[in-house]
Amino acid sequence: MEAQKARKIVIAGGGTSGWCAAAALARHLGPLLEITLIESDDIGTVGVGEATFPTIRTFHGILGLDEREFLRATRGSIKLAISFENWARKGDRYIHSFGVNGKSTWLSEFHHFWLAAKAAGFGDELGDYCFELQAAKAHRFVTSENSPISYAYHFDATLYARYLRTRCEAQGVTRIEGKIGRVKQHPETGFIEALVMESGERIEGDFFIDCTGFRGILIEQTLKAGYEDWSRWLRNDSAVALQTDCPLDDIPPYTRAIAHDSGWQWKIPLQHRQGTGHVYSTAYTTDDEARKVLLDNLDGDIRVELRLLKFLTGRRKSAWVKNCVAIGLAGGFIEPLESTSIHLIQSGVTRLLRMFPFDGCCESLVRQYNEQSRLEYERVRDFIILHYKATQRDDTPYWRDCRDMEVPDTLAQRLELFHESGHVFPDADDVFRIDSWLQVMVGQRFEAKSFHPVARILSEDRLRRMLETLKGNIATAVAQMPTHREFLEKYCAVE
Amino acid sequence: MTGRGLQNQPVKRVVIAGGGTAGWTVAAALAQHLGELLDITLVESDEIGTVGVGEATIPTIRTFHALLGIDEREVMRATQATFKLGIAFENWAHPGDRYIHAFGTIGKSTWMGDFHNMWLMAKARGFGGKLGDYCFEWQAAEAGKFAVSDKSQINYAYHLDAGLYAGFLRKKFQPKGITRIEGKIAEVEQDGESGYVTALVLENGTRVEGDLFVDCTGFRGLLIEQALGAGYEDWRHWLPTDSALAVQTGPTQQFPPYTRSIARSAGWQWRIPLQSRVGNGLVFCSEHQSEDEARAELLGNLAGEQLTEPRLIRYVTGRRRKIWDKNVVAVGLASGFLEPLESTSIHLIQIGAMRLMQLFPFGGDFETLAARYNRLSHNDFERIRDFIVLHYKLTERDDAPFWRGCRDMAIPDSLAERIALFRDSGYAYQAPDDLFSVTSWVFVMVGQGLMPTNFHHMGALLGDQRLRRALDSLKSNIAKAVASMPTHRAFVDGYCAAESS
Repeated sequence: MEAQKARKIVIAGGGTSGWCAAAALARHLGPLLEITLIESDDIGTVGVGEATFPTIRTFHGILGLDEREFLRATRGSIKLAISFENWARKGDRYIHSFGVNGKSTWLSEFHHFWLAAKAAGFGDELGDYCFELQAAKAHRFVTSENSPISYAYHFDATLYARYLRTRCEAQGVTRIEGKIGRVKQHPETGFIEALVMESGERIEGDFFIDCTGFRGILIEQTLKAGYEDWSRWLRNDSAVALQTDCPLDDIPPYTRAIAHDSGWQWKIPLQHRQGTGHVYSTAYTTDDEARKVLLDNLDGDIRVELRLLKFLTGRRKSAWVKNCVAIGLAGGFIEPLESTSIHLIQSGVTRLLRMFPFDGCCESLVRQYNEQSRLEYERVRDFIILHYKATQRDDTPYWRDCRDMEVPDTLAQRLELFHESGHVFPDADDVFRIDSWLQVMVGQRFEAKSFHPVARILSEDRLRRMLETLKGNIATAVAQMPTHREFLEKYCAVE
Repeated sequence: MTGRGLQNQPVKRVVIAGGGTAGWTVAAALAQHLGELLDITLVESDEIGTVGVGEATIPTIRTFHALLGIDEREVMRATQATFKLGIAFENWAHPGDRYIHAFGTIGKSTWMGDFHNMWLMAKARGFGGKLGDYCFEWQAAEAGKFAVSDKSQINYAYHLDAGLYAGFLRKKFQPKGITRIEGKIAEVEQDGESGYVTALVLENGTRVEGDLFVDCTGFRGLLIEQALGAGYEDWRHWLPTDSALAVQTGPTQQFPPYTRSIARSAGWQWRIPLQSRVGNGLVFCSEHQSEDEARAELLGNLAGEQLTEPRLIRYVTGRRRKIWDKNVVAVGLASGFLEPLESTSIHLIQIGAMRLMQLFPFGGDFETLAARYNRLSHNDFERIRDFIVLHYKLTERDDAPFWRGCRDMAIPDSLAERIALFRDSGYAYQAPDDLFSVTSWVFVMVGQGLMPTNFHHMGALLGDQRLRRALDSLKSNIAKAVASMPTHRAFVDGYCAAESS
């Protein structure tokens, strides 16, 4: 074995991506590496991703974070679900929660039993059989060690980066303040050798992590990884965001995603404020109109002024090129409809640690990383497209075009299978479980013509009793929990 | 008629063509779980023998038995079964080499990396011993020991008599509503327009109508191929053996809890120990070895009393282009053939039966479900194929034209990529749809002499001393656990001795 080739690691850019990468590397490979992170206080972070996905809890386990400390530091709240409003039709509302639907058997999933009940004229809502969904609806929450509840967080991304930074610096990560002036490459191999700061300082490294956001200073401007444009399916290209006071007495443990005429609006409740923003397509509306839509739909007084973001939905063709891997927005952008940005960051970081190129960036390793990364982005993409494709709205050109678009084959096959037979299957590498697919498909009024008749083996009486019992157990358990607000005050309120 | 709305179920009559392991497995599973919704008929002839090579299994069989409510002792007693902890590969990388592909896990892995990276670090520093030292199942296999208890995590499968196994399933599940019809199929009736199969006509004139047909007629593929012409993808350029000679020998005093796979001049020989006898066979490539030569090589390498005359089986390795076509689903050899090197035949049957139940076309929606079924099944076959090709490709033997050909052959891209990845970085993975675990891939790759040049440095975090201590303690815990177990023979005698043995 030769001496370790990748020892000096340079992370270009802070923000959620940069500090997540630094935190994981420092904690788990710290003794083997020298980690430097370059960021400039002059460059703002995008920080749209303030709502998260349950995998964040696994990542925090890896980092050894204390949940209360983290929630206090980031003014965080609990997220059990997303409430989708006006998506299939104006006036509709459904909840996509992180929980499991009913009880499945190896032979067939629970929803076949529910579909059988619906066909026989009873059974109520699919969501009645999901604990997390009912808790979300009731604005209730409680957790304990080893809690089986599936949940994520809302938090202030700027505070999150700051919180991770403090921990990283204590673990030996060197932070350098400044802007990157140019990237120095090896004249023959094209491998990156150093980042040269505007001040002239030269930061040399063996391996580089590009967390410079949309610009991709290393991965794109230097290494020309290329970008795959997905805007034919996901046509939003802009967002306008601001923060308001939190006017509500009780804090819903879910994100709201409210469809508007040419886009949708998020509402993310934190302990002390609400983040909100309008995601839209400039092919159908203007920045001014979009701003007006947002201002007309606020729940409280504005605390922080409007910020406009422009983006191109898609994926960097290679997330890893030569001795550089892109994490976060430098690797691709998918709108925050299902709060996947931070998941993609943390999953990328975890993958990097598992495949860390101690002995150099061999091609097979790079290809494997890129392949896993590609699949992950595509799975998320398909799930997001589902929300647009399965709409029945025809009140604006935007929604009509969404409804009528061609979708990727991978998604078309899933839709056809569900429509024909009621089957939903997890695919290899899925980020979203079938419970998620179902809650969204059913919520979007996308119907199954048929279902697995194993459900018919139960007599109508037994089926009715089984469903009633499930529903009753969930209702009882939910009623015993404190409200989300009460929980936060006791658990992690900032003094 | 129980349940509701059965009149709205267009597919109700299932006809299984052929018995054997495939036919009875499908019949048993359908009867157990969907019996109330279906009319199940199985057509078989006592005059047609079964191939029954697949006498060794992999651990997934235990999951399948649990789903069917089959008691372990009962099935083992009925099939002369013994336990299987893995496969010993002899002479594969070089003549004289030996390694075990054990079913267990190796050492202790973390979220960041698999244990073999630690072992590779130790090897690079000059210690660490053998990879198998860190696998409980490997050590138990080597010591000829076995035991199960409620607490044990031991991962295992069975060796069993496939003929008795089909009989066991028949006896147990036929009363659950399976109509068995004795007879040979003379004709397959198809709808003139759609080509869908409508009925099987037997030699005695009996007409068996059905809505869905399961083709378990073996290599011939009477329905899927002869009637529907589904087509066959030939994989002999990657897996060139095409023949097997099978013979049985008398029982041995001690039986090892593993299958033996011994590389020979143009193929390999299996030894599968049952309670009452030993199954033996030679898989060979007719291009490099004649039947007579193969017979001589097999008979010259038998231990124990020869009980039967060698039986010849010819096959074409590959897979049906459509395993489910129109209203016919092929299960078992009718769906494709992969040599028994990793004992996957019965697994493929069982996974086929389970998938058929999950995707059962109650509503007559054959095409959408078939597309999904085929995608998954094709994938199964290809992943297993890659794993089997791996054993041949990684040989370093150049003592025979057959082995030189294997070593030098072009292999599927998917496999070439995996080999390069492991060689260059020590990274092994189980893709979400892979049957074989990281451990299996690592055992075989390392066993065949592929030592990665680089690997994850997780071991370096410990430092030499702590790494050495960690490895020693893993090793001694395993050794202690193995020492306290009974021999395989003693355990079988007490747990599941067959009535007649």
